[in-house]
This record gives sequence, structure tokens and C-alpha cells, in this order.
Amino acid sequence: MTSAVPLGAFIAVSALLFFIGLGGVLVRRNAVVILMCVELMLNAANLAFVAFSRRFGLVDERGSVFVVFVFVVAAAEVAVGLAIILAAYRNRPTVDVDEIQRMKG
Amino acid sequence: MFGLLTVSILGAGLAVVLAPRITTSALAMAFAFLNVAGMFVLLGAETVAAFQVLIYVGAITVLILYGVMFTPQQPRAYGLFFQGQTPWGALLAALVALPVVIVAFTFVDAGVALEPGNDLRPLGTSVFRDFAFPFEVASLLLLAAMIGAIALVRREREIEEPPGAPHDPQRRGPRR
Repeated sequence: MTSAVPLGAFIAVSALLFFIGLGGVLVRRNAVVILMCVELMLNAANLAFVAFSRRFGLVDERGSVFVVFVFVVAAAEVAVGLAIILAAYRNRPTVDVDEIQRMKG
Repeated sequence: MFGLLTVSILGAGLAVVLAPRITTSALAMAFAFLNVAGMFVLLGAETVAAFQVLIYVGAITVLILYGVMFTPQQPRAYGLFFQGQTPWGALLAALVALPVVIVAFTFVDAGVALEPGNDLRPLGTSVFRDFAFPFEVASLLLLAAMIGAIALVRREREIEEPPGAPHDPQRRGPRR
């Protein structure tokens, strides 16, 4: 049942999700939305890891193990990222990355 | 099923980028994560799907929503949601995305695939035997991130000043 969908389709969905996230990082101003887009990119990488791990080459569970580590890194990243955003917000109440960039120095 | 999940993931991803309200973006992100979990189930990795629902849909979405609520947004024009270099950024992302997606379709399945389900035991064996040291390093990373987050958002307390000392604005931090 599961092998009806080819591997390439999973990888293409993963790539499209990754580039949607990349476009969001490049395009949006709001720092919290940029953090969300980074999470989307990490999740797209997870999807590619799982797809390759279960379907490609010498199949084993190593890809899923890596996905667990990506979960850990994503959790740490969102915690520290939100802390940085809140600290910057306390200095000046904005989450606009253009404004934050302007007050350097 | 795969098509439904694909449409949901890509639609939710576009909603995250294009939604005018930040709460909509957060909920669309949660929806995208949930659909990626469905994709994992379709691939037969049920344990990873469970982790995905617990960590991403549960923890990270709640954390992001806290971030949304701690930074109240003032209403503004829709054009101001995007940066100045928006056309170039979108064009760059699309240009890089095209060849990558084309290349993505060239991967073909191996002859064999792992049978769906029953992936908890090999996953645990790998994590705690072959990858025990990276696992410990990951725990250290989480500890460092937790301490760093607490240190970053900690307020400077006035009680650190000696009692009775004259109020000295220079001794306070950059807090307004």
C-alpha cells in the first residue's frame, strides 16, 4: 500500500516545503514568522530524512535517528530564538527585523 | 491520501508565509506539522510521527504562540508585512527551487522497503547503542539552550542594588 507512492514524490514535497520556508525567511519582516519558517524548513528536512531512510539504498533506521536529533536541535533553536526575540522586544517594542537591524551600534 | 497530504502541507506552508495575521501563521504551521506527521505514517515511520505530533504540534507550536502573545502586534498595512527586498527574495527562492524539485523526482526506490510499523525497537536500539554519545551531547545542548534562554530573558532586578543606595540610572541595564 505504502509503496504505491514513489520516493521522488516525497522528496519533491519536502523540497517544495523547504523552499516555501526559505522564501518566508527571505520575505517576511516579522521575527516570529521568520522563526516559524525556519521550523518549516527543518521539518521538510525531516521528511526527506525519513523518506530516504525507509526507501532509498541500504534501508535502515539511521535516518529516523537523525530525525530525533533534529527534533532536539529544533526545540533548542526555537527556545533560544524566542528568548532573543523577547530580549530585543524589551529593548524596543518591535519584532520588525528591519527596525531591529536599524538600532545596531 | 498522498495528494491530500501534499495539498495540505503546501497550502499550509504558503499560508504561513502569506497570512496577514501572525496567529493565522502559527495555526497554519501547526496544521503543516500535523500533515507532515501523516506523511511519516504513510512512509511507515509511526514512531517518528508520534514524536512529530508530540514535539512539533504540541510543544513548539505552544512555544511559538507564547512568543506571539508576548509581542503584541499593532495593525498595519498589508504591504508592510514584507521586507524591502521581497521580489528579489521570492525570485531567488523560486529559481533555486525549480532545479531542486526537478532533481527530486529522479530518485527511485530501492528494491526493498522497511515494512511499516515496528520501528520503535530499532530506533531505540540505534539511539542508545550506536548513537549514545551524540545522544548525550544532545542532552547537553538542550541544557545549554535552557540556561541560555533563561539568561537572555531574565530581568535585571532592582534588589541587586544595595539597599538605601541612591538611585543610579547608570547601574541599570539597557532595560527601559
